[in-house]
Amino acid sequence: MTTKAHASPGTFTSAAVSSRNVARKKPWGPILLFLAPVMLFYAAFVLYPVGATMYNSFHTIEANLGQITTTFVGLDNYKALPDDKIFIQAVKNTFIWSTVGPTIELITAVGLALLVYFKVPFFRFYRVAWFTPMLVSGVIVGLVWRWIFNYDWGLLNVGLRAIGLDSLAVNWLGRRDTPLAVVIFVHFWATFGFSFVLVLAGLSTISNDLVEAARVDGASTRQIVWRVLIPLLRPVLITVTLLSFMGKMRAFNVVWVLTGGGPLHFSETVATYIQKRAFLWRSIDLGYPSAMAVAWFGIVLLGVGLLKLWLGRKETY
Amino acid sequence: MRKSFAKIFALLLVVALSVPAVALAQDEQVTIQWWSHWANEPAKVAVIEQIAADYMAEHPNVTIELTWWDKGPLFDAIRNTMIAGEGAPDITTFDLEVSEWVEAGWVLDIEDYLPWDNFLPGIKEDGNFEDQGIEGQYKFNISAVSNMLFYNPDIFAELGIEVPEDYQFTTDEFLEVVQKCSDAGYAGVADAIGNRAYPGVWPAQAALWTLVGPEEWNLYNNGLKSWDTPEARQVLEYTAQLRDAGLWPTTFSTMGIDEFHIYFHTQRKACMLYVPTWYPGRAFQPQENGGQDPNWHFGMLRYPSWEDGKGNDLLWNSFESGYAVLSTTEHPDVAGDILAFAAQPKYGALWTAVTNSPSAIKYDVETDWPSEELQEALGAVPGQWDWYWEEFAKVYGTMTPAIGTTTRCGDFEAAVVAALNEGLPLGLLTVDEAIEMLDEALCAE
Repeated sequence: MTTKAHASPGTFTSAAVSSRNVARKKPWGPILLFLAPVMLFYAAFVLYPVGATMYNSFHTIEANLGQITTTFVGLDNYKALPDDKIFIQAVKNTFIWSTVGPTIELITAVGLALLVYFKVPFFRFYRVAWFTPMLVSGVIVGLVWRWIFNYDWGLLNVGLRAIGLDSLAVNWLGRRDTPLAVVIFVHFWATFGFSFVLVLAGLSTISNDLVEAARVDGASTRQIVWRVLIPLLRPVLITVTLLSFMGKMRAFNVVWVLTGGGPLHFSETVATYIQKRAFLWRSIDLGYPSAMAVAWFGIVLLGVGLLKLWLGRKETY
Repeated sequence: MRKSFAKIFALLLVVALSVPAVALAQDEQVTIQWWSHWANEPAKVAVIEQIAADYMAEHPNVTIELTWWDKGPLFDAIRNTMIAGEGAPDITTFDLEVSEWVEAGWVLDIEDYLPWDNFLPGIKEDGNFEDQGIEGQYKFNISAVSNMLFYNPDIFAELGIEVPEDYQFTTDEFLEVVQKCSDAGYAGVADAIGNRAYPGVWPAQAALWTLVGPEEWNLYNNGLKSWDTPEARQVLEYTAQLRDAGLWPTTFSTMGIDEFHIYFHTQRKACMLYVPTWYPGRAFQPQENGGQDPNWHFGMLRYPSWEDGKGNDLLWNSFESGYAVLSTTEHPDVAGDILAFAAQPKYGALWTAVTNSPSAIKYDVETDWPSEELQEALGAVPGQWDWYWEEFAKVYGTMTPAIGTTTRCGDFEAAVVAALNEGLPLGLLTVDEAIEMLDEALCAE
């Protein structure tokens, strides 16, 4: 007696008909009614601005003798991007940030989450404390850390001098080589708590049976972490990496308050430069900054896609 | 008979239709939205609100609703509301840094509304855009600005620095003063760029002013002339020398504008302070709000002089942010009338008496000066800062005022910030690199 390996065509037809019947039975009226407000909100505050930005990117808006003229310029705004030294510097800074930032954030989040998972002393306090920076406004974070990095009386340099490390007490926000590192660190401090919470949540979904089974088999804590927990955390780690990457690619508020993108654009990001070109460039032309925004959107999309491909290869357990 | 009735009826109809219109015009309740910056300067708030209250008292059918902002968010809001075509106020803060509003047709010509004879000389040059081919006047100024240089007399005495009789060091002497201050552990000047894109430029701008005079200065300052000239190079090299001598504090890149005021007048860690006459807006507040001790009298200096400098005896003046009437207003005549009302000499005197800032409006001290009761009602302490004005008159009173304007294009503005506000003061750029950066971004004439 053979077992049919595949369902008969009749079964498929029955399933299709059943599916259509289910679709017909769905209360589309109430569904649309409940979805309408959020869809309207989405259309008004997401789709329309994105569409308007794309439209503007192919135009220049000029004011002349009291008249505003919008002129179609095709790809001219996009073609000007590679020759814009400040844009190139901002892209370079942002790529460095989006590579270094997620890396240190991931390592830190996993490390701290494991400490809480393994219930080190005061783990309950750490669980709250490490998330707290996320609750502080980016503006306040920037202001406070600007004081901390003050050359004379900032906490950092005062502390370094107190322990005899005067040579390390530098002008952190006034050099070529340190402002970008400073904003990366400050932003990391402000946002690592989110990744930490995600990783901790992922750890809490891993069955204790697996860990116990590993212990019974004689696995050490290190082996449990590397051979059991980390592999099972992979989907969460991929999510954390992608979210962190996207966050760094559009980082703005901390940079804006901390350094304004300076000095000399050494800490300029694409987001801060777009802000300056759009609103602080003594012009009402939104065409060029819109082209920057659309181009960057494409780059971020590409980056996320490549990351997903690289990180998302399937594994079975 | 019917034709007569028809004619009479038509006449009555016309009268009946026109009378309500006339009655409406006379009794129409008008609300004027007035958005102003200076939200964190209570003295200026008090004066503007007094002007509004006085206007409303004389015009019961007009209600003025004042909304107070910080300048940056206000300009963003104006841009957004004008692009959207709704939500904009009738009167708003306006300055040359948003001159594109005039080019966009967002700002009304107020030439015919204001009594221009009431204002100081140079007022019309500040608010017109004839260089851009636009006729008319667009800016109402209540506050004038003189750019000053203060010194800490206690530190000068400690270091044995004597102020010249004409209150003006030469550039070489000034360099020596800065070096002396630095050697003693003080900053040459209290100055910083933590949250502003312009304070670092003041020493270079002042040196350029005294060397080339106002006409050339305006060309250089607004990106209309190459900086690769012997004069500009001389100024930038001198600025670099000042930097190396210790002109700027070590906290230059992190201190905010409020902080470097305190650095000078309370912490007293700097010998001098370059600052425009809006200094009192921050410093002449109660000490618990960040103001200075009113009993601490600093001194004033003229900008360092160059041999054969064309601007050595000229006081660098300009006008602070003022007001404009937006083109979306439904009541341009009322808005214009309000600004004309504010242009009375008594309000110029009130402005100076309460805010301790020079007024752009001329007044007679004998007849227009506000009563002590009114000053006190607006939060001023009459006579408290008289020493400041006596020093101002002593040092700058005999100088000839001249107007310096800032109407840069966006690229040049960014280059000035990068090169002169950040790069050169921080030692991140050489003079050649700064000149190259500025010249790459010159504005088209």
